[in-house]
Amino acid sequence: MWPRVSSFLRRLFADFPSALGTTIMLVFLLLAVFGPLLAPYPYDLPIYEHPRQAPDATHWFGTDHLARDVFSRVLVGARSVLLLAGGGTLVAVALGTLVGLVSGYAGGWLDELLMRFFDSLLALPALLLALLLLGTLRATYGEDVSAVGKGLGVFLVLAVVYTPIVARVVRSVVLAVKTRSYVEAARLQGESLGWILFREILPAALPALAVEAALRFSYAIFLTSSLGYLGVGVQPPNPDWGLMVNEGRRNVSQVPWAMWFPAAAISVVVVGANLMAEGLKRALREE
Amino acid sequence: MKTATPFKRLVLTALTLLVAASLLLAACAPAGGDTTTPEDTTGGEAPATDPTEDTAAVPAGPAGKLRVAFQPIVATDPGLISSDSEVFVANHVYDYLVDIDAQSNPTPRLATGWTVSDDGLTYVFTLAEGVTFHDGSAFSAADVVYTFNRLRDVNGGLPTASLYANIAAIEATGDLEVTFTLSAPNPFFLYDLSDNHALVIKDGTADPTDFNGTGPFKVVSYTPEDRIVLEANPAYFQAGKPGLAGLEVIFFADDQAMVDALRGGQVDLVMRMSTSLFESLIGEAGITTLDIPTNGFDLVRLRADRAPGNDPRVVEALKLATDREAIWQLVQQGYGAVGNDSPVGPLYGPYHDPSVQPPARDVERARALLAEYAAETGGDPTLNLVLHVPDSGGRPDLAAVLQQQWAEAGIVVELSVEPESVYYADGENGWLGVDLGITGWGSRPYPQFYFTQMLASNGEWNEAHWSDAEVDALIATAGSTLDEAERAAAYQQLQAILAERGPVIIPYYFAQFGAISDAFTGFEMKAFAGRTDVSGVTLATP
Repeated sequence: MWPRVSSFLRRLFADFPSALGTTIMLVFLLLAVFGPLLAPYPYDLPIYEHPRQAPDATHWFGTDHLARDVFSRVLVGARSVLLLAGGGTLVAVALGTLVGLVSGYAGGWLDELLMRFFDSLLALPALLLALLLLGTLRATYGEDVSAVGKGLGVFLVLAVVYTPIVARVVRSVVLAVKTRSYVEAARLQGESLGWILFREILPAALPALAVEAALRFSYAIFLTSSLGYLGVGVQPPNPDWGLMVNEGRRNVSQVPWAMWFPAAAISVVVVGANLMAEGLKRALREE
Repeated sequence: MKTATPFKRLVLTALTLLVAASLLLAACAPAGGDTTTPEDTTGGEAPATDPTEDTAAVPAGPAGKLRVAFQPIVATDPGLISSDSEVFVANHVYDYLVDIDAQSNPTPRLATGWTVSDDGLTYVFTLAEGVTFHDGSAFSAADVVYTFNRLRDVNGGLPTASLYANIAAIEATGDLEVTFTLSAPNPFFLYDLSDNHALVIKDGTADPTDFNGTGPFKVVSYTPEDRIVLEANPAYFQAGKPGLAGLEVIFFADDQAMVDALRGGQVDLVMRMSTSLFESLIGEAGITTLDIPTNGFDLVRLRADRAPGNDPRVVEALKLATDREAIWQLVQQGYGAVGNDSPVGPLYGPYHDPSVQPPARDVERARALLAEYAAETGGDPTLNLVLHVPDSGGRPDLAAVLQQQWAEAGIVVELSVEPESVYYADGENGWLGVDLGITGWGSRPYPQFYFTQMLASNGEWNEAHWSDAEVDALIATAGSTLDEAERAAAYQQLQAILAERGPVIIPYYFAQFGAISDAFTGFEMKAFAGRTDVSGVTLATP
């Protein structure tokens, strides 16, 4: 096991772009876990003595229009981004992989039914679908928006919006692979359906899946930000990066740094995710 | 090939980042590049200014043209206007019978003077001589009668019908004299006559959107969502007005674009902008900034007709947990004034009692009150409420600061920042239904409006669902007595009650911001930006 992992890691770090991307993502992961511990100030409390402070030695990223430390907010916000965008993507990838494998392998009416249903979901632009879902959630839960406000709604939306896309990618690989002789052989050997799907077919889909997951993750960050921007996503004072960009935009003439740093953080993570996806694809292919 | 792909990708992403970064920088940098004014069409001769000098403020011809940035207008019928920009346009095309000056006092406009009977029921107005409509026809008492009969017609579908329900009769008692008879005394009748909608239109007007007013400017062209171009009315009845050859209201969707246009010299005047934009304009060459206090405020209110707001300890705890001074400094950056939980702001002169203050912040006492409330009623000592707030102005910021201040007293609120269309929707989740909300209230020339609409038991917008017999009685007194001292006393008592037990928190009164090019002089802004009258503005260097 270990030699395989270490050779995989060596391939991942073999060229500069994918090494850079992977490093960025690792740092981001560490921030998401330890960010709240590292933050020098509470992310949500005004520091009344230093409102609208430009970046300096005490406040590395300055303070925002409500005198909150931007550096602390960006650090703490990493977790929100990972949990929402990352978690939503993970659920979408898991569900999409499962459905794509089953649908592609089974074929026939089940495949037809699932794919047409996903087509109908895909016909709606992602943002519109998200707004529809969140509006329905809000109407259903009414006053009890706390769970929705904390991001549960956004989490569900990401899963619903991205599952069909992942499923289609996986299904296309399955269609290409399922007639290969090694799959036929496994079937003739009497292997279980689970074995065939996950041990024989899935590895062939992994490179494409890795790229798709990373792409979905970067889109998920954007979608989360857009929803925060439209006022239907996570609620303040959550230090979600997208929400911070939106708040910063309103005060950009006075506290531009409150927008720069979260915007830069989004860019860096999105770029990192893409570079790592490219590296993953290559490393998985060479395996 | 295999190795080139990731590299190409890196180059591409790096390029994308660069472009994004430069766009961002461009958006933040002051727009200083383009300072010419291609839209300028007033003067035949080019103004003799050195083009290498600061040209942000280009004098626009002999008598000049003032270009004002405003939100687009929708309604042009004076009876239906409501937004700042709609009122601003109408106020220059038409005239009010009675106007309100910058100190909130009734002042003559088409009426040169008036007398009031001792019983307060009969008002006789003398009208200005030599006034003509833009179509050339003469103005007379019949036009005033027609205008106000239209505005008070209960079947006319205009929002002013209830405001003027107290008028028993309007008669032309002379060619230039109008008599209003009321069914009950109304100490605020002159203010009511100067309501935003009460612009005089011609007797028998078939189309009230025809811009046929008596005002200082005539409409040359109106392009919806683009601009409205006006020129001076040479026959205007007030000597020396207007002081400019032209007035152009250019429509912008948001205040950032307006301020950029002012910096770039595409407009000369901007009113209403965020505090942060205003701050960024201070000290800019060629631009004069003004801020005036207003009576407008943000109202934090708790529904008082059900738990938990029906328990006075909860109301008191929220008041005790709030630091109004800190909120004012942070959210309004020290502009305007600190609030005292009453809609009678310091601008109302004798009505305002500066000695009335809500209880000083005491987090421990708030905590104790809530513990007592929870022990006795079985309620939640953290309250655990949702604070609904429209996504406009400084309201989301106010909500965020309140959330923190209240948390120190153990009060837990979730924020729900909503588009205005959601916040102001009907029903239990709209602004009149939710337990805890923040509503913005605009500036009014007299305080009675807030009390009858917002705080009286039967108020149309009694969003706190508050019902207090003592308050109702005081509101009735203030609204009917002809004795100024009695009215002032009633307002001062109301302030004391609100500060002590009203289910409302008013943390600050807004300031009104404006910025005008140095090329103009004689500008005076009003608390309600739309009622600002620029007919007295002239070029600084004619």
